[in-house]
Amino acid sequence: MPGVERGNHERSPVTPRIVVTGLGVVSALGIGVKQFWEAALAGRSGVSKLGAFESMPMEAYRSQVAGQIHHFSVGRYIDGTLAERVDRFAQFAMVATKEAVADSGLQLDREDPHRIGIMVGAGMGGMVIAEQEYHRVYQTLRPGRVVPNFIPEVTLNSASGALAIMCGAKGPNLTISTACSSGAHAIGLAREAIRAGRADVVITAGADASVVPLTFAGFCSLRALSTSFNDSPERASRPFSRTRDGFVMGEGAGTLILESLDHARKRDAYIYAEVAGYAATSEAHHMVIPREDGLDIATTMSMALQNARVRPAQVDYINAHATSTPIGDVVEIKAIKHLFRRRANQVAINATKSLLGHTLGAAGALAGIVCALTVDAGLIHPTINYDDPDPDCALPGISRGAQERSVGVAFLNAFGFGSNNAAVIFKRALTEKGGQ
Amino acid sequence: MTTDTDIALRLRKALAEYLKRDVTTIKPGDVLRDDLGLDSLTTIELLYQIEEEFDVEIPDTDLPSLVTVADVTAYLQRRTTLTQHVPARPESPSDDVARSESGVKSFA
Repeated sequence: MPGVERGNHERSPVTPRIVVTGLGVVSALGIGVKQFWEAALAGRSGVSKLGAFESMPMEAYRSQVAGQIHHFSVGRYIDGTLAERVDRFAQFAMVATKEAVADSGLQLDREDPHRIGIMVGAGMGGMVIAEQEYHRVYQTLRPGRVVPNFIPEVTLNSASGALAIMCGAKGPNLTISTACSSGAHAIGLAREAIRAGRADVVITAGADASVVPLTFAGFCSLRALSTSFNDSPERASRPFSRTRDGFVMGEGAGTLILESLDHARKRDAYIYAEVAGYAATSEAHHMVIPREDGLDIATTMSMALQNARVRPAQVDYINAHATSTPIGDVVEIKAIKHLFRRRANQVAINATKSLLGHTLGAAGALAGIVCALTVDAGLIHPTINYDDPDPDCALPGISRGAQERSVGVAFLNAFGFGSNNAAVIFKRALTEKGGQ
Repeated sequence: MTTDTDIALRLRKALAEYLKRDVTTIKPGDVLRDDLGLDSLTTIELLYQIEEEFDVEIPDTDLPSLVTVADVTAYLQRRTTLTQHVPARPESPSDDVARSESGVKSFA
């Protein structure tokens, strides 16, 4: 039967190395990697006053700032009806993925579709349609008038489904949902899928868009959000600062094209970085609070180093989870000091959330993109609002300004509600531009 | 009119219900975190119920001053006798840092 052999490739006896060959960004700092990266290096904030939720009394929200993407219209980026029939987070993922695929130079129609996978990290899912229809059905008491597309649109894996359809990818099509670390786990698991021989290429994304009335109110009620900077939104996300008072909700998406080094070499692809290691653990401790001694985070980071066969002394840069919560930032720095000891004073550290706020399921993917760009360019974006360092967080490698530094090994930390931790290690690829 | 005793009793009853304990086991000097075993999330859940019960809104900035059952009682006494729409301030802002162990926002 024609076609049954597709995707049934023999595994290489050598575990492949995995590289990043394409990037795409949808963020409050701009749509597109170039716009995002220039704004990040310039230390611009994507946080603004929270936009009005129709007739909701906005003064009743404790936090009134967010890293929102204003005036987004998916039709400007993607033709066809599919993009208009998925929720905002999936639209973000589609736009970021379109850019990443183009950036990678992949000719999808020339690839074996069964060897291309999709892995999406999403924490919340289709919250725009969810809230709209929940509200409407309880208000009108007309369950017969719920929109037919409600279920396909609200489902958490709607983004990965849309990406598979858009790209014609027939390999593994999976959604990872681990709250704030979803995007980071997606990168790690995409790497493992290729290493296990299940795909040659995995289109790896993280996306969330849940700055909507009920979800935002839920984070307010959890008292997780910043409330002291409602009149100066750009100052509200301030990781490691003494005056930080909670995170700022954001939204967006990031996509990385991961593929085996062999596959990238064969098509002479540009390589940003190698994804060299990954670790996933659970603290088995508390639904939203990390262990205060930081030991589980240090263990996760150590496991990632072992997985990548990298020593702490080789790490040049850490993209910290750093959400700007009082205890979360301290715990992460404790873990870094515990694991890296004296090296903690030499490693460069930044917090991408200082620029974007916390984009939840997108955060790990966007941080992964920052790691790839940092390894590639040797430039470390500023941690903005680090103007009053908390002595419990302060390390010499955290800077309000951009840093220029050759980065051979970059570390991505991501932690999520549900007591879970992720760490991903990026290395400068030995074979750089053009697969030399 | 709401009296001190009313507030103290209502609060202790609310705590007892939340903690599934006998009301007599809850003492004014109990520290929410150490003695009653509340962590930052359960403290927030409890304060939410107190906000509902007493029809007050407790701003984040007031949380560090609410360490013991007696602190919460005194706080509610002030809030319910003052204009309800004016957020109360901690008695001593300098105490905030020292007492922030019962604070919140410890999230991942």
